[in-house]
Amino acid sequence: MRRRPGRGLLIPAVLLLVATLDWRYIGTEQFVNALTIGAVYALIALGYTMVYGIIELINFAHGDVFMVGSFVTYWLLSSLGFRGTISDLPLLLVVVVGTFLAAMVVMGTVGVVIERFAYRPLRNAPRLAPLITAIGVSFILQNIIQIFFGPSPVSAAQVIDVQARVDLGGVDVSVVKLFVIAVAFILMIALQTFVSRTRMGRAMRSTAIDRDAAQLMGVDINTTIAVTFFLGSALAGAAGVVQILYLGTTNFQLGFQAGLKAFTSAVLGGIGNITGAALGGFLIGFIEVNSTVAGLGRWSEAIVFGILVLVLVFRPTGLLGQQLGERA
Amino acid sequence: MKLARMGAALAIAAIVVGACSSSATTAPSAAAPASAAAPANIAVKIGIELPLSGGEKPNGEPTLNGVKLALSQIQVPGFTVTLNVQDDAVNGVHDPQQGAKNIQTLVNDATVMGVVGPFNSSVAKAEIPIGNAAGLVQCSPANTNISLTKPEFGALDLRKTKPDELAYVRVATTDDIQGAAGADIAYTIAKARKAFVIDDTETYGKALSDQFVATFVKLGGTVIDGASHGVPKSGQGDFTSLLSLAKAQNPDFIFFGGVTATGGGLLRKQMVTAGMAAIPMGGGDGLSDGAASVSGSFLNLAGDQGDPNTYMTVAATHDIPNPEKLKADYKAMFGVDPGAYSASGYACAQVILEAIKNVGGDRAKVRAYVTDPSHSYDTVLGKFSFDKNGDTTQRIISDYTFDPGTKDWKFVSQKDFGAA
Amino acid sequence: MSARRLQGGRAPLRLLPSTLRRVGEGFADRHQSLAVLVGVALVGAFLPIVVGVPPFSGFGNQNDFLDGFANAGVFVLLALGLNVVVGLAGLLDLGYAAFFAIGSYAYAYGASPFSHLAVPFWPMLVVGALVAATFGILLGAPTLRLRGDYLAIVTLGFGEIVPVVFTNSDTYTNGTNGIAGIYQPSLHGLFGIGSFGFGNPWPYYVTVLLVVAVAMMLLYRLQDSRLGRAWVAIREDEVAAASMGVNTVTTKLLAFAIGASTAGLAGVFNASKLSIVSPDQFGFTVSFTVLAMVVLGGMGNIWGVAIGAFTLYEIQSVFLKQLTNFVQALHLPVLDLGFLRLDISAIDFVQYQFLLYGLALVAMMLLRPEGLFPSRQRKRELHESEEEAVESNEGLVQA
Repeated sequence: MRRRPGRGLLIPAVLLLVATLDWRYIGTEQFVNALTIGAVYALIALGYTMVYGIIELINFAHGDVFMVGSFVTYWLLSSLGFRGTISDLPLLLVVVVGTFLAAMVVMGTVGVVIERFAYRPLRNAPRLAPLITAIGVSFILQNIIQIFFGPSPVSAAQVIDVQARVDLGGVDVSVVKLFVIAVAFILMIALQTFVSRTRMGRAMRSTAIDRDAAQLMGVDINTTIAVTFFLGSALAGAAGVVQILYLGTTNFQLGFQAGLKAFTSAVLGGIGNITGAALGGFLIGFIEVNSTVAGLGRWSEAIVFGILVLVLVFRPTGLLGQQLGERA
Repeated sequence: MKLARMGAALAIAAIVVGACSSSATTAPSAAAPASAAAPANIAVKIGIELPLSGGEKPNGEPTLNGVKLALSQIQVPGFTVTLNVQDDAVNGVHDPQQGAKNIQTLVNDATVMGVVGPFNSSVAKAEIPIGNAAGLVQCSPANTNISLTKPEFGALDLRKTKPDELAYVRVATTDDIQGAAGADIAYTIAKARKAFVIDDTETYGKALSDQFVATFVKLGGTVIDGASHGVPKSGQGDFTSLLSLAKAQNPDFIFFGGVTATGGGLLRKQMVTAGMAAIPMGGGDGLSDGAASVSGSFLNLAGDQGDPNTYMTVAATHDIPNPEKLKADYKAMFGVDPGAYSASGYACAQVILEAIKNVGGDRAKVRAYVTDPSHSYDTVLGKFSFDKNGDTTQRIISDYTFDPGTKDWKFVSQKDFGAA
Repeated sequence: MSARRLQGGRAPLRLLPSTLRRVGEGFADRHQSLAVLVGVALVGAFLPIVVGVPPFSGFGNQNDFLDGFANAGVFVLLALGLNVVVGLAGLLDLGYAAFFAIGSYAYAYGASPFSHLAVPFWPMLVVGALVAATFGILLGAPTLRLRGDYLAIVTLGFGEIVPVVFTNSDTYTNGTNGIAGIYQPSLHGLFGIGSFGFGNPWPYYVTVLLVVAVAMMLLYRLQDSRLGRAWVAIREDEVAAASMGVNTVTTKLLAFAIGASTAGLAGVFNASKLSIVSPDQFGFTVSFTVLAMVVLGGMGNIWGVAIGAFTLYEIQSVFLKQLTNFVQALHLPVLDLGFLRLDISAIDFVQYQFLLYGLALVAMMLLRPEGLFPSRQRKRELHESEEEAVESNEGLVQA
């Protein structure tokens, strides 16, 4: 992996400049909105990018993993009897951390199961097969949730007080939004640390570069891929928790659009690149908010997908290029 | 050879399914009381074309039940009336193409005298031409789009096969009135002068919002940015950036043209997150889907934030002549409270039954009777007749607001917009 | 060579007893286009008769069925086109519904009160196909350098963008309301089956049979031509194909164009039949349904895909409903496991058709990725790795 230092600094610098200019244009509140929406996309995009980096599969079902994660959260909170804001801070902390852990572990497991039964048998099949299977899995997940929870949107308890605001440089900002952004950053940093510092992370990186060579060096491919799916799906599960805490609602069709936009984020940042996925997620958040501010709200989806097409056509390696592996 | 085996298996399966279901095909049609039919009774049917599955069930099912209640209470001498039920929801969403197919099926069933339905205006656009060509009358309990009946808005294109033989009537009044009523509420009751308007980029929602904008401006108010703001059609109901945009301009009213399924309840919820709980929010009958205890309804999704600042209009009269009796009868038969359009469904059934009573089991005569402006009907909704375009003469809009005590919609007032 | 080349197209003939089959295949080998015409004509004559026979007669009357068949024909056309893109050329297109939309709106724009134009239906068929083909090239051009997965995503992106454009362009497309009152074809007294209109399914049925037959004839011609072989070459190994002199750019663009053109035909036909177009008719579920038909029917096999599309459509519109009635009539007991309450009689299979599609696709990919009616070539391609493994094992054993 060769990185030219000058090149590496240019893009972040440009982005920082653009971000500052944009902040002047849309204002602090919308800036925070963009970061919040972007944080959700980033969390989901990470899963896409890791899976693609390691087995070159666009996991269509990943957006629905996010959606199932939000339903797991909803089910957990309503089964435990929470109906609204929790004002007792220690209890709130326990509930929030517990929910994150539960959702992440459950969705991580779901991801591993899907990989084991739907994707692993097709690892050596022509490209088309696992892609079509992934679409099939996506519909299966949606319909299972529809069977259990019904087709209408559900209203969930937003345990963090959504009306709490904090003063940020003269502007009132919602506490929940800051929490979401903070959680996303923490998880992203944790993931990056895991991938770059641990043994399993090294195994993941080497599998992404050259699967056969990694196998020859003693890496257990199946376990490595399973761990990749676990981590990616866990992050999508975390995004599901965020969806409930922040927006307080979910429905079985949430995954499709969110998944597409998250995939756009991953591609925009550079598929296979963890930092890229995070960056891409925030960028897409900004694009959406800017569309709304500019009065193009109805077109925001078309704009996002238009960007997807442009990036794939003109710069398929994305803004930050490759990191997990080398791809022509 | 594998193919032959598969083919044989398929054939056997089809025969088995067919043998068992030919006795069951009557299952969806049977709904009327099993009256001991005198041998002279002619069997006729009322067709039902409503969205009955998935996310649309809370809309279609109470309406269907209203029709069933009507059939159980009204006898037409000499006839046994049953139902032919068709569902136009595909994957949980109303589908115009499915609606067209369903109408065709009902047309092909010679015993169907008239149809109650459809529920959604976009479906009606696909169905009216077919009903018109076939001479099968439809009575919609809930369509509100103006282009379905009014010639100046393109309705003649829908009935061009037989422009002189109207085959579509409706008991709900139209969106030009409903949107205007919404603006009226905002201006006079909520005393708003600066409105921020949002729509869901759907036929119903956008038309409603556009009418709101036009009337609100005419009354003297200002609409921020001059027009309605749209959210992407298949959006996830994330209104945060739109609300932040609104907040910066200090509106004193937010109007939402759309239904709960496209984000109504979430909008209200997010208004609270955005710190706009004190600003009133208004909408049309797309938000009229039950109390907060009904899962998936607007009030349910709006959470505890459906405070007295929420308004809603329904394109039908609230002051129906005997609401308590209807509610009691409905509850006795179905175990739950009637839905927003149960009475409308009941009324449509009454119209068709009245026609059968007067002209017999002849589809063409029923159509002619129903669409004759000189006939009037005394129904659960009150007395009304249909004008020459098929619109009801009962141009009443009822206003509701949220009642935090019962956590349900509370009737405020109704306004009669007079004869057309 | 010739026997193997034509194997895939003989799917319906395999249902006949062997002597008839030999005669049929011999005939088909020599007069391929005529064979397609005869095949379609036979199917077209057979269907209206078979629906008068129990058990089918219990499901609905003949007019209903014919109307359904005409609608199924639309999906057959769509599947034939997607088959060219996905099945023959191996380009996974997930936004195919966009071309269907373009064809529909093209006709709506050409023949409705909204646009004050009234171009007759038959020329509009050709125009619609050409317009769609043009957009096939336009939307395919950016994808030329992309590999399979990226290509899929870009096409998916286009599939999402096109309906949004139609929804928000009020001046040209009447926006979210769609265009109503589209003129229907007019060919009065078409050989005694009546004129086009809402109550009469026969003209539409015959028209769609004709269009399908013509499309299939042309596609078979293409499949056996140099272009067709170039498509297969690109599907198997693009680099090798390029180095053998295949112009990958034109080959791929033509795949998109030809594939889109049948969607254009389908769109024009559908718009004329339904008499309305609306932007929400063309979402991802449509693209997914057509893809499922192609995959399940047998990628690369023209007749296979047509039969697959027809079968799936009939299952979706007729049999699932009957299955629901059937299961209800069985009055199965309710399964109560405490935390889970499963009432099988209450399951509405129509509502869960996409669950069934999803399960079917996954099962297909795992067990029989070449589809129900595969072309021999495709089947060998997909099971190649298994064959190699078997061979190498055998070698080891013998040694």
